[in-house]
Amino acid sequence: MTEVMIERGAALAGAIVVGVTALFQLKNDWAAQGLDALVTKILLGLMAAGCVLALLAALNVLGARS
Amino acid sequence: MATAVGHLDGHQAVAARYRDVDPVYAETRDLRLLGFVLFLLSDCVLFSAFIFAYVYLRTSAPAWPPFLGGHQLPWFDTSFAAFNSIVLFGSGVTMHFALENWKHLNTRKFNMWLIATIILGIGFLLGQAHEYSVVGISWSGSTMGASFFTLTGMHGFHVFIGVCFLTILGIQANRGVYTGSKYFGLTAGTLYWHFVDVVWVALFFLFYLW
Repeated sequence: MTEVMIERGAALAGAIVVGVTALFQLKNDWAAQGLDALVTKILLGLMAAGCVLALLAALNVLGARS
Repeated sequence: MATAVGHLDGHQAVAARYRDVDPVYAETRDLRLLGFVLFLLSDCVLFSAFIFAYVYLRTSAPAWPPFLGGHQLPWFDTSFAAFNSIVLFGSGVTMHFALENWKHLNTRKFNMWLIATIILGIGFLLGQAHEYSVVGISWSGSTMGASFFTLTGMHGFHVFIGVCFLTILGIQANRGVYTGSKYFGLTAGTLYWHFVDVVWVALFFLFYLW
């Protein structure tokens, strides 16, 4: 197993765990009111999107260089 | 409950909203929060300016990665960057847990999640230092290197400040500066940490995936 495979495997597993947790927290906070709750929801959503990017990178779907 | 709050005067109603007995804190909290969000937006403008400069340089270059001394510069290591990104995103989740535990007056778990956040933040910085040591390009000589080190360096500095910020917040929290209803500093720290996470989402895409 190469170093790259370990990094991609860790990124893949981490992206799933962190992304699902972020979405779960977003769902929990969805009804919260106030400016801080609004900003937190936006930032959590963008972080979940970041996890999707990391997931696609780990699967070599994005960032694959010829 | 609405009727009961409706009988209160302005100060008391705001205090009741935050379950707090200090009307001055309750009244100024929203103002301070607005100020902090405006600070984050100004930071967003700062990063946007550098990001647009990078996009302009990249799209106007005849080839990317650019050539230097007759050789094309290498692409960045996507697999390590994906792993390091998850370290930072994970720290955002642990910080969220820390704040939630503080709201539920669970100090032990708050400390645990805050320490995890700080460790992951330091881990990300070490990962970035490793990346700099093996990236194979330098700050000078190419628009790619200049853009990369400027933007990721500026972001890394924000993460470093965030680690210091969270450490100070942890010390303050354990010294009784914050209570179950007065914890604006912890809210600000969490928002700041989420912000540096989200900035990295943009940088990760622009430098490693685009």
